[in-house]
Amino acid sequence: MHKDIKEVVMVMEDNSRRSFFKKAAAAVGVVAAAGYTKTVISRSSASAGDAGAKYAADVALQEKAVTGNQLIVMTDDEKKQRLDELLNSHYQELA
Amino acid sequence: MSKEKNEELKYPNNVRQGRRDFLKHVCTSSAAALVAATTPTEAVDDTSNPDADITVAEYFQGHFLLMSDEEKKQAIARLEKRYSAQYTKKTTVSDAPAPEGVLFGYALDISKCIGCRRCVHACVKENNQSRHDPEVQWIQVMKMPKGNISFTPDQLDKGYPEKSEFGDYGVQVGGNAYKTAGLSTEDAQNYYTDDTVPDKDFFYMPVQCQQCEKPPCVKACPVRATFRDHAGVVLIDYNWCIGCRMCQLACPYHARRFNWGEPNLPAEEMNPKTHYFGNRPRMRGVMEKCTFCVQRTREGRNPACLEACPVGARKFGNLLDPDSDVRRVLATKRVFRFKEEYGTYPKFFYYVG
Repeated sequence: MHKDIKEVVMVMEDNSRRSFFKKAAAAVGVVAAAGYTKTVISRSSASAGDAGAKYAADVALQEKAVTGNQLIVMTDDEKKQRLDELLNSHYQELA
Repeated sequence: MSKEKNEELKYPNNVRQGRRDFLKHVCTSSAAALVAATTPTEAVDDTSNPDADITVAEYFQGHFLLMSDEEKKQAIARLEKRYSAQYTKKTTVSDAPAPEGVLFGYALDISKCIGCRRCVHACVKENNQSRHDPEVQWIQVMKMPKGNISFTPDQLDKGYPEKSEFGDYGVQVGGNAYKTAGLSTEDAQNYYTDDTVPDKDFFYMPVQCQQCEKPPCVKACPVRATFRDHAGVVLIDYNWCIGCRMCQLACPYHARRFNWGEPNLPAEEMNPKTHYFGNRPRMRGVMEKCTFCVQRTREGRNPACLEACPVGARKFGNLLDPDSDVRRVLATKRVFRFKEEYGTYPKFFYYVG
């Protein structure tokens, strides 16, 4: 009988210690994940420093896009056709 | 000792510390923390620290068009509260719907534009764009040599396949067969720094969102953050935009601007009368563009660029109304179209008076 109780106490102690370690490991994991996330976020905000270069690249693309265009004058028929297409499309959307 | 008894001794009071239980606890705690982070938004009235709980709620906000009326009201209240605190002035965020029976169109007289860029500055001011590093501009004014524009009015109908006595072979003859009747944007200067305008040897052409009837940007958006409203204006739900820039790539006119950094909008320069889909302050990582000043036009006013134009080169109106300025321009003026059509049907027309 005495031996049984001792065994049980040992099992409980072992169990609680194991669960403690589990919790501790989980907590460390959570903290590490949070730390890593923070590092990733702050790294991306730190790279906002080169945002200027990205804006400049966008501007260069815009310039390239708008400077290669040709516009031609529409005939009366074309104007009417364009207007009809716009209105038809609009009424179709509404329907 | 029986197995059952052994289990009881091992787990007194039926407390089992299994891996599954532990994970369950972790999940429950995480969910509780998340709920705690999002719910106080409505409860807390303190505007001293608007960025903490409100931004979390904004982060989890759905698409505005799909929200219930109650959710929309909460979202608007949340934004007004945050902007009011952030810019230290009473800010309103309207969610006025698009008017019925309207299809907005815009027309710009190239022969009148003097390149003063007042429209650009009025747009920046009205629409709460980033003021520096860099100043984001939705309108880009191009300065082009006068040689780039050429057409002979009496031959405008020429240059198309014509019938002849030998039959209709679809052969393009005469007229504009070898010469474009219109204008070219080659050799255009986008960032001229003239002290005085207009330069007598140049003409000017402002470019902005063409508010296409069949907008490729809308088709390209993977989350439908950008859409066309009933009045034909292409808008963006900034909170729903994921910043993938697909729309920017899809736009043939490059009319969209991406916020690579946090926009720099000084509190004293902020326009407090805003619209949810229009000029409310944007955040880093979202797209923005001209909305025909949706905060104005949905209330029956004209866009800011039109009001700022000192020479009356800009016309705005309802394409469904035959008496509107835009329809009159279409009926009576020489109106241009892009030679490369793209099939987008822009509702922004360039013309010569």
